[in-house]
Amino acid sequence: MNEKDLMLMEELLKAMDASGLNGAILVDVPSTQFVRFNIMLLRGLSQDRGLSGLFVSVDRPHQYMVHLLSMHQIKAERLMYIDAISRFSADCKIAPANVGFVDGPFHIDKLPAAMSEYNPSDDGKKTGLKDCRYAIIDNLSALLTYNSFGSVELFLRNFVKVFESPRNALVLLVIDKEKSAPLYELAKTLCASEISFRQTIEVKASGDSGVKTITDITYCKKG
Amino acid sequence: MDKKSDERTKRMDLVRIPTGIPGLDEMIEGGFPFPSVVLISGPAGTGKTTFALKYLCEGAKRGEQGLYFTTLSEPTQWMLRYASQFDFMDRDFFGDQIVYMDLGNMMRELDAGQILAAMEEKIAEVVPQRIVIDPITVVGGMLKGDYRLFLFDLFNRLKNWNATTLVTGEVGPGEVYPPEVSYAVDGIVLLMLSEEGGARRKYLEVLKMRGTNHLTGKQSIDISRSEGIVVLKARF
Repeated sequence: MNEKDLMLMEELLKAMDASGLNGAILVDVPSTQFVRFNIMLLRGLSQDRGLSGLFVSVDRPHQYMVHLLSMHQIKAERLMYIDAISRFSADCKIAPANVGFVDGPFHIDKLPAAMSEYNPSDDGKKTGLKDCRYAIIDNLSALLTYNSFGSVELFLRNFVKVFESPRNALVLLVIDKEKSAPLYELAKTLCASEISFRQTIEVKASGDSGVKTITDITYCKKG
Repeated sequence: MDKKSDERTKRMDLVRIPTGIPGLDEMIEGGFPFPSVVLISGPAGTGKTTFALKYLCEGAKRGEQGLYFTTLSEPTQWMLRYASQFDFMDRDFFGDQIVYMDLGNMMRELDAGQILAAMEEKIAEVVPQRIVIDPITVVGGMLKGDYRLFLFDLFNRLKNWNATTLVTGEVGPGEVYPPEVSYAVDGIVLLMLSEEGGARRKYLEVLKMRGTNHLTGKQSIDISRSEGIVVLKARF
C-alpha cells in the first residue's frame, strides 16, 4: 500500500465511522480496483480498528488475499474466510488461514447455512462467526456468472439480514456501478449509505438529497 | 418483459481494459478481458515489446498499476533507452506506476516453483492490474521442470491475482505462434511481416479472444513514434 492508498483508507474509515461501523454500506468501485480496495478495507477494519471479520471469496481463491495481507504486513489474525471458489479453481496455492470451504459458487442458497455451520472458534482460540463485526464479499457481481439474478437477490437479502440484525455488524457490498447497474440498484435498496470510490469519495446518507464529498483525493492520473 | 427484468436477465458482459493500441479495441469489443492472459506473438521486429509498453502506459494513464517482467530478451536498461523515443512513454510512470523486474538471473539459478514464487511475491507487492512477461518463450528452454505445468500454474495464478497479462512469444521463420503457450492463453494476437512488392509490410491479426466477438483477418499496422502500433485498416 502506498501513501495515496493509506490516505484513501483513512477517508474510507472516517466515512464508515460516520455510519457507526454497522449496517449495510454500498460501495461503488471500478472492477479493476476491487483487489486494491479490499486490501484497504481489510487493513482499516482488521488492523486499525481491530475488528473481527469475515471475508467471503466467490471470485478467486482466498489464498490470494491471505498472501496480499501478509505481503503488506497487515495484521488480520481475527479475519476468517469462507471460500466458495477454491475447490473449483484447479489452484494449489498454499496460504494458511482460518478458512471454511463451500463446494462451489453455483448454489449460493447454501452459503448462509454453510456460514452458520462454520465455527472455527470451537477450539477456543480462533475467531468464530458469532464474533464477526464486519463482512465483505470479494466480488458480488461474480455470483451472477453462476446464478440467476433472483437467486443472487435472495442471497443478498439473507446475507445482509444475517449480519445486520442480530450482530449489528457492518456489511460492505462492493459493486462496480457501471458494469453491474441492476445489481447495484438492488443493493442500494438494502443499504443505508453509499460510498463512491472513483474520482472522489462521496458519502450519501439514505434519504438525503445532497451528496457530501469528503475528499478530493483521486487515484486516477488524469490523461 | 419490462425493461427492469430484461436488464436483470441479460448476460453480464466481461470487464474489459482498453489496450491503448489505436484501432485494436474496436476489433475486440473494447479491450482485453479482465482478468485474462493474452499472447502477443510474432517474429523479430514486428513490435511485440512496443505493443506491451503501450499497453502498460495506457493503464498508467488510467490510474492502473503495471508490472513488467523481463526474461532474457534484452536488459531493461537498453529496452527502456530505445523505448524512450516513443512519445507515449511518460518517464513519470516508471518505477512508480510501471514497475520492472528482471527474471533473467533467477532463470539461470532457480527451478519452476521458485520462479513462480518470486513472481507472485512481486505481484503481491505491486498489486498490478496489468502485467507483461516479455518474452515467455525463452522460459521453456531454460526451465528446470515441466514447462507445460509451469505455464498452467503461472497463467491460472496470474488471472487469480486479478490482472490482465500480456505474454510475448518469439517465433522463427514460418512459425505463427508458439504452440505450447497458445493452448494455455485466453487470447492470441499475431504480429506478422509480409514481403509485398519488394517491401516488408506489417500486419496484426486477432486469432483467438475468449468471450469476445472479434474481427478476424489480417489488418495492416504501422509503428509510429507518436502512438506506437496503430491498426490502419480495421473495418468497423
